[in-house]
Amino acid sequence: MTAVITLDKVGVVYGRGATALAALQDVTLAIQPGEMTLLLGPSGSGKTSLLQVMGCLLRPSHGRVQLFGETLAPDLDVEALAALRLAHIGFVFQHYNLFPTLRAWENVAIALDLKALPRARQRERSLQLLERLGLADRAEHYPAELSGGQKQRVAIARALAGGPRILLADEPTAALDGKTGQGVAATLHELAHGSGVAVVVVSHDPRVEPFGDRVLHLEDGRLVDDRRPARSSA
Amino acid sequence: MSGIDASRISGTSLLAWRNLSHDRARFVVTLVGVLFAVLLMGVELGLLLGFARTTSSLVDHTDADLWITPAGTTNVDIAGRLDERRRFEALAVPGVAQVDQLMMQFAFWRKPDGGTESVSIVGFNLATGQGRPWNLAEGAIEDLQQDDAVIIDRLYAAKLGVTALGQTIEINNRRARVVGFTAGIRTFTQSPYVFTTHRNAQRFTFFRPDQTTYLLVRLRPDADAAAVRAALQTRLGRVDVWFAEDFARAAQRYWLITTGAGSALLLAALLGLVVGIVIVGQTLYATTVDRLPEYATLRAMGAPNRYLYRVILKQAAISAVFGFAGGMVLVGVVVLVSTRSTVAVAMPPGLIAVLALLTLCMCALGALVSIRRVTRIDPTSVFQ
Repeated sequence: MTAVITLDKVGVVYGRGATALAALQDVTLAIQPGEMTLLLGPSGSGKTSLLQVMGCLLRPSHGRVQLFGETLAPDLDVEALAALRLAHIGFVFQHYNLFPTLRAWENVAIALDLKALPRARQRERSLQLLERLGLADRAEHYPAELSGGQKQRVAIARALAGGPRILLADEPTAALDGKTGQGVAATLHELAHGSGVAVVVVSHDPRVEPFGDRVLHLEDGRLVDDRRPARSSA
Repeated sequence: MSGIDASRISGTSLLAWRNLSHDRARFVVTLVGVLFAVLLMGVELGLLLGFARTTSSLVDHTDADLWITPAGTTNVDIAGRLDERRRFEALAVPGVAQVDQLMMQFAFWRKPDGGTESVSIVGFNLATGQGRPWNLAEGAIEDLQQDDAVIIDRLYAAKLGVTALGQTIEINNRRARVVGFTAGIRTFTQSPYVFTTHRNAQRFTFFRPDQTTYLLVRLRPDADAAAVRAALQTRLGRVDVWFAEDFARAAQRYWLITTGAGSALLLAALLGLVVGIVIVGQTLYATTVDRLPEYATLRAMGAPNRYLYRVILKQAAISAVFGFAGGMVLVGVVVLVSTRSTVAVAMPPGLIAVLALLTLCMCALGALVSIRRVTRIDPTSVFQ
């Protein structure tokens, strides 16, 4: 199985000189499709920086990043990185980041609009995705009219709308209650296994851990543990 | 305000509309800003065009091909005198079909209540009608055959103390009688035109019977206008010979540019444009700053910068369309009111198109600051 993302001795340093801070140090790993990878670690361990590098949002200070076996040139401009994100990567954020002035289905349709899907098909496809995530009856609602779990599922539908091969989620359950958080984690797990999407989840939430096929542990910017739990809850 | 069919419009249009309509107070401020900018630009440019038309109206309403004026004449309202012999010299030039005299001279109009106003006497050849008043609303041109008869415009009737046809007044201490009213013949100098026959005009203004102000030349159909003009200039010597259009433009240039009147109007219109840019810029920028997390999310999702620019520019375009529509309603009211005043605000379709273009440019310029701001958005900020 070909890795979707490969990092080779990747480092990220913020600032320069005496104030320089190494957020990531020589991280080497490969993310596989069809599984859910958890990124765990204490605050400041570099989880978000790693997610940003994998998501083509942040250029590493050193090391090599490969996407589907192709090495990303270190001098790729921001528009080229944006094009890669649009083509291959979906994001789910801790605070949902939905557009408050758009209805649920319109939030999903924006991702399709970015991919230039004809307007006539955007609504149809958005409604299909919301139905798949159990939100068919909330499609016409604005984010302010949805619960936290519903908002996060709309965000997941939006992330999936463009047909990404990689789904990156930053603390997707942090703002949710226990049962809802578990439901969202289960949804992400199902996506990885059902659709072959490589799902990477940054989390502090122990409720998410049982859903991980693989658990990476970061400390002080270094990958200190890479294990596959004996039995996944899925 | 959000009740539009989202499945029929693009994502950028939807975002632009919702960004504006979900913050109604700010949207109203934007629209009011655009509206008043359009009003200011429309009225000032309309005044400019109205004045331009007024300054050359006398020339524009004759069908002369050439105007012979005293040397150094800059506009139709102020000129020296020509000797009538020049008319016969002009008639002798090949290609000339007809030469008419036209008088133009300031005079004092004594009102029935004893007050005095300055007027411009326009004396024309009643037989050919060259230089006659247009838009006659009451009375008949033929009534000017009477020795003391004059025609004035209704717009200035009150100013001149005239309440009805047949009323008598004095022009330079000579008795005159109003036999007709025109409608909408304005004067830039605010000395109303008083139309009468050339002979009467000579009497009112103490010109000698062999003196006039202008000679209006009609050419034979087969004449080479440029060649005849050159021949007239050579033959008549110390006069200026103009094509009618050139004389009209010269009059406009004199009153609007040389006197600085046009510059003041243009400056006011420019001020309107600047005010509009500032208001649109400020309110759009405030909206953009409020929505920065959403723009960052779009960037994180892979939206190219041009997608974000389109959202902002469409916000500007929506503001422009609504503000322009509201502004033009007010401009229309001003134009309507101006038809009853001595100051005309012209609003031909061409000027409406120019105003629409200026409004769009104004809003687009106002959007530039917002565009610059979103260009610098860091998509990683969505993780903070």
